Amino acid sequence: MKGILISMKVTLSAFFRKPVTRPYPDVHKPLPETDRAFPILLWDEAHTEPYCTGCHACERACPVECMTVLMKDNPNHVNNDGTSKRKKIIDKFWIDYARCMRCNICVEACNFEAIAMNNTWSGHETSVYDRKDLIMDLPQLLAQHRSGNIDEWVVS
Amino acid sequence: MISFLVVNPFIDSLLKILSIVGLMTVSAMGLIYLERKIAARFHMRLGPTRTGPAGLLQSVADALKLVGKEDIRPASADAWSFELAPYFVFIPAFMMFVTIPFTLMLNVEMLTLGLLYIIAISSVSIVGWVMAGWGSDNRYALIGALRAAAQGISYELPLVLSVLCIAMIAQSLNLNEIIAQQTIVPNILLQPFAFFLFFTSALAEMNRAPFDIPVGESEVVGGPFVEYSGIRWSMFFLAEYTALLIMSILIVALFLGGWSWPFGEKLGTSWQILLTIMKTSLVIFLIFWVRVSVPRMRIDQLMNFCWKVLIPLALIQIFLNGLILVFHLPTFLLAVSSIMLMGVLVLIINKSMQNLNKNHIVKNNLESA
Amino acid sequence: MSNKQIETQEILVNMGPQHPSTHGVFRMVLSVDGEMITDVQPYIGYLHRGAEKLCETMDYRQGIGFMDRTEYLANFNAELSYVMAVERLLDIEVPERANWIRMILVELNRLSSHFMFVGAFGVDCGVFGTPFLYSFRERERLIDFFEEISGDRMMYAYFRPGGLAWDVPANFVSRVEEVLSSSEQGIKDMDGLLTNNEIFLSRTKQVGIIDGKAAIDWGMSGPSLRASGIEYDIRRAEPYLYYNDIDFDVITGINGDVFDRYFVRLQEMRQSINIVRQCLANLTSGAILADAAARNLRTPPGEVYIRTEAPRGEYGIYLVSNGDNRPYRLKIRSAGFSNLQALRDMVIGSYIPDAVVILGSIDIVLGEVDR
Repeated sequence: MKGILISMKVTLSAFFRKPVTRPYPDVHKPLPETDRAFPILLWDEAHTEPYCTGCHACERACPVECMTVLMKDNPNHVNNDGTSKRKKIIDKFWIDYARCMRCNICVEACNFEAIAMNNTWSGHETSVYDRKDLIMDLPQLLAQHRSGNIDEWVVS
Repeated sequence: MISFLVVNPFIDSLLKILSIVGLMTVSAMGLIYLERKIAARFHMRLGPTRTGPAGLLQSVADALKLVGKEDIRPASADAWSFELAPYFVFIPAFMMFVTIPFTLMLNVEMLTLGLLYIIAISSVSIVGWVMAGWGSDNRYALIGALRAAAQGISYELPLVLSVLCIAMIAQSLNLNEIIAQQTIVPNILLQPFAFFLFFTSALAEMNRAPFDIPVGESEVVGGPFVEYSGIRWSMFFLAEYTALLIMSILIVALFLGGWSWPFGEKLGTSWQILLTIMKTSLVIFLIFWVRVSVPRMRIDQLMNFCWKVLIPLALIQIFLNGLILVFHLPTFLLAVSSIMLMGVLVLIINKSMQNLNKNHIVKNNLESA
Repeated sequence: MSNKQIETQEILVNMGPQHPSTHGVFRMVLSVDGEMITDVQPYIGYLHRGAEKLCETMDYRQGIGFMDRTEYLANFNAELSYVMAVERLLDIEVPERANWIRMILVELNRLSSHFMFVGAFGVDCGVFGTPFLYSFRERERLIDFFEEISGDRMMYAYFRPGGLAWDVPANFVSRVEEVLSSSEQGIKDMDGLLTNNEIFLSRTKQVGIIDGKAAIDWGMSGPSLRASGIEYDIRRAEPYLYYNDIDFDVITGINGDVFDRYFVRLQEMRQSINIVRQCLANLTSGAILADAAARNLRTPPGEVYIRTEAPRGEYGIYLVSNGDNRPYRLKIRSAGFSNLQALRDMVIGSYIPDAVVILGSIDIVLGEVDR
């Protein structure tokens, strides 16, 4: 009998403690800076173009092969009377968020610090009705950093 | 008694039935909400918050969902027993309500043998459980139903015996009379052991933790209800919470002095209602509290506990009560005998724990290890 | 009574793969005589994803993420075995700081895994969710902490051959202290809730007994083996990292019953806290990745077997390399798989509710069993 009373004492003490859960969609847990959601591409504001040169490093490093990269000659290159030093630039980029396993390897593989893991809640709340909508194209991948909606945390 | 201003007895009884069903459904839904909220606090959770202010409409939302669900009957199920089983569980729970005393004057029908009536009716629901288990043609359901039958029949005995202890003291089976006699001393002080007995067997009767063996979610995944869905399943659920409410009121009436202790008769009806509600809430809270604190017993342990411990001790209590009452010994001896039996019970449990411990050298408490 | 015997029949009860207490997609077919179990046939493989084969197509860094997904309750421990195997092949010396951080994370992960066990086990015994919620409260704090370090809540992918992916945040030490003290409170709650409860004791004691010899014969390891009284802990028997320099007790049980398996784990949680405190005192500053560790590692041909003490027991990695940048063959020796083999011995002759409790007490992770 004593043990049951001890158990009941423990539960009663918990009854008067503060609840530890939070009503999720209303209250979001603050995310740490290191948080890894899905990878996004970064936007070079100075040259109004993506950092990404389409070098395929991340595509080759990806363990689940969720990326597809196509590159093109940079129309904005200095040789073409542009401002940028990038000879090649990303043409098309797709990341299949449904396949991505968020391992951070693409970020480590990138030589231009052009890709980063989204560390905001918008990277986690990606529910869609159609699986095809999870394949992100270049504008979608760039959108978040372009709008300044992210403090990227790139592995130094 | 509720006196409806209607002469026609049929309309009168119809109104009574409607009031019972309406009241009980609403209070059962309230109880479901309360259980979710209170269990959540015991778990340090928030519980339902999204439906209505503080999740108040959660039960309504659940009910709507359940009503809207498809009523599935497995192809191999026995149609008659499967479809009828919920009624056999549902109707007795509501029938028990008839003689439950809220105040001196407020109840549906005061029966002279009210206690006998409640106990007789309450065991009918076992039929429904067995029908549900057998009719589902599912092995989990079958195991659950057999467990329910064994448990229900076994725990009927200590329940009756504990009620008998009270009836002996009150010299009546009329609930109102039993309550009226507790104006000064509630029965729990006279018969704490009978209270423990009744509380335990009531938990077993209602299949609530730690005696939720028939439904045992981690073993037989809902037992007899495993194949039910939608409205039929919700009838079982409703019956469970109705039984919870009625058993709590019964505990209040038998042991905690119902509407009469303290100052029930002097302060009038509103105080009596308040008393009943407060005490009932307390008992229900206790039941919820026990539920979140203890693991489920095993069926063989349950049967052993019932037949080898509770029933012999209950018979001894009745014998002692008889001696004290027949020879007009002082009343406090009732309490003394009951407390002694309580001590015996604790000793028996400790002894069985020592038997389990026989080969253990490790101390069981982490703090001392 | 007539002399005619009542005819009884054994029935088969199919428990799983969709059952609340088979801890994932495990299936056992019980033959029951009333409530008594006369035979049990376990079926595994519902969660088989071919992790071993997959890793043969991945280079060493890519493989880390798949280790996380085999042992999804003790990911750091699984990663550790893998990266240590690669390091042994390459013969790299890991910086001291990286090793201490690894040790801290591995022990904290053991803590969170054991919390998960105690909670799920309490629910298996039939408490209405309470132990689960209490243990998840603490596990959540630990996971939040892991998220701050590695960036992910479950699939950390934080260890690298040669060290760590990146350094821990500046407030590492104070945060570890914080989660340790909250974990202590959690252990106290679990202890109070379950350890003395008479119903819990009667459900768990003298149930599912397996003696030390049978446990060894079945290849059990970890807390399940130690509960049978065998003092075997790889951290002591074959020390890796800096376990040699750390003072801790190897907890053993007496009877080898379900209660002992629970209680050994509960005490191990205390030991883990103790170990982490000692590691914190020893934590040095410095590099976190060995200089020799390139991005795309090529191992010399050879083979290596590394075992570590994961929360469930021996988590071994057998790695064969043919000089490529990926394993030629990778074999995961998971503790859950071996421990599960003893299930039949323990379950036969007990009751249906006991089967659930016994299965819970082995603490299987199906991802690790089926790989």
